[in-house]
Amino acid sequence: MKTMTGLEHSASSVQVGIPAAILKPKKVRRRLDMTLWEKLYVAEIVRGLVVTSKHFFINMIGFIFPPAGKKRKVFTVYYPEEKLTLPPAYRGRPVLVADAAGEAKCVACGLCEKMCPAHAISIVAAEKAPGERYPERYTLDLGRCVYCGYCEEVCPKEAIVMSDEYQGLAQRDRSRLVFEKEQLLRPEGKVKARLTYVRRIYSKWNY
Amino acid sequence: MAADLIESVAKILFIFGVNVGVFAPILGWVERKQSAVMQDRIGANRADILGFTAIGLFHSLADAIKLLTKEDFVPDNASKFFHTLAPFISLVPAIAAFAIVPFGGRYELFGREIHLVIADLDVGILYVFALAGLATYGTVLAGWSSRSNWSLLGGLRASAQMLSYEVAMGLSIIGLIMVYGTLKLTEIGAIQENFFRWGIFLQPVGFIIFMTCAIAENKRIPFDIPEAESELVAGYFTEYSGMKFIMFWMAEFLEMVTISAVVTTLFFGAWHIPFVTDAMLLSWFAPAGPNGAAALAMLVNIAVFFAKVSFFIWLQMTIRWTLPRFRYDQVMRMCWKMLLPLSLINLSITGLVVLLR
Repeated sequence: MKTMTGLEHSASSVQVGIPAAILKPKKVRRRLDMTLWEKLYVAEIVRGLVVTSKHFFINMIGFIFPPAGKKRKVFTVYYPEEKLTLPPAYRGRPVLVADAAGEAKCVACGLCEKMCPAHAISIVAAEKAPGERYPERYTLDLGRCVYCGYCEEVCPKEAIVMSDEYQGLAQRDRSRLVFEKEQLLRPEGKVKARLTYVRRIYSKWNY
Repeated sequence: MAADLIESVAKILFIFGVNVGVFAPILGWVERKQSAVMQDRIGANRADILGFTAIGLFHSLADAIKLLTKEDFVPDNASKFFHTLAPFISLVPAIAAFAIVPFGGRYELFGREIHLVIADLDVGILYVFALAGLATYGTVLAGWSSRSNWSLLGGLRASAQMLSYEVAMGLSIIGLIMVYGTLKLTEIGAIQENFFRWGIFLQPVGFIIFMTCAIAENKRIPFDIPEAESELVAGYFTEYSGMKFIMFWMAEFLEMVTISAVVTTLFFGAWHIPFVTDAMLLSWFAPAGPNGAAALAMLVNIAVFFAKVSFFIWLQMTIRWTLPRFRYDQVMRMCWKMLLPLSLINLSITGLVVLLR
């Protein structure tokens, strides 16, 4: 058996892979070959300056004389005063869905607890009536939560969904990030958009 | 004698006030706000006094308060004396370089000839180069004395870059000096009363080389390799805080003002309006009497000069927010292989033209 040094490999008649005649080496265009005009820098720098100055002057004129009727095209959101309306696909912090009676839809099956990759969920199950389970305590540690949405995906009762809430996640004390069932409950109407979205995207796996 | 003293002190106070009191704090705001406007953002607008934000101008004030009350930190192993000395060596040349820049011409006021320049030195432009050379020490000392790797690398890069670019900068100006036949900035300014004798028409290549080298001397983007936030934390002033830190900033901004002033004086007609001679300006204001006319002409000239300076500050800011940083070897190659030969060629062609004319 031949050793695979480069020399012997090239000398051997055995074709490996696509023959070199077909596989033409592609010339990678990395634009290292600047033209003389580009090498002079000055013209290209002026071209760049024109682009930025154009933005500058258009914005300055719009700033000094705001065009009547339509707003200036600024994409900045003044955060605490203005808030974005997030799309239903956004995975904010998970919340529990309440039924019409205001009780959690959760049946404390423990799938989400088992599924959670960050071990953020812990459930204490109890029985309302014989054979009817409910979560006595449902604790979600948002300091551990990674917002993966597996709990929502695995839940057979649509009882936990990712909401569009993202505030209140900055706390000085980690214990304040541990949310109890009462803090997590949301009426079904509030998470309607997300529920519709979830039904659509997970419909493939619904049996 | 007393009148001379009063005149000198008034001029010094004016320039010092304009530079340190107006340009230095405002430029910190301009840098943020201009970049924001250029990038379709809004920029600094949160600091307010009683709900009144003044388009973010109070941010300079807030910065000043913050930096004045901050701890003045010196690293354990740092050489304390040089660590303290470095920001001063950086800042003083930046302020002092403005002394020879004329911000107006000569005016007859109440039988006294007012000459709007602090020091009309015979060596003129050489003084600017001398102080630019001195500013290198501030940077290098800051980098060396901090006893930090980032600072040392920044200082090394600064010394190499600034010394290299000084050569090309000096050579780029010699062509202009040959054409004008004087080193005095006041005389160079006076010659440019004729619009077609402006430096930019006589030495366009010299202008481009000088501008490039000046930005490199000031260590601003695209030549900010001594600072290089993405590589060296903050380069030579990594280990500085509080007032010393802001002194490096002020030095940078004031050098920018000085560069703009020197460029205006050398290449863009100093205090002159295009096609308007001093005599014309005086005759326009003649109804105000001889003294009033001179005073009004003086004010107009000062305003024109600082308008031009502001334009060049704007241009430098725009360049700073448009271009990416050069790599270290590219900076060196650009200086020694492009700018230096180019300035030598420019020099010989200028010499030939001056000889044959």
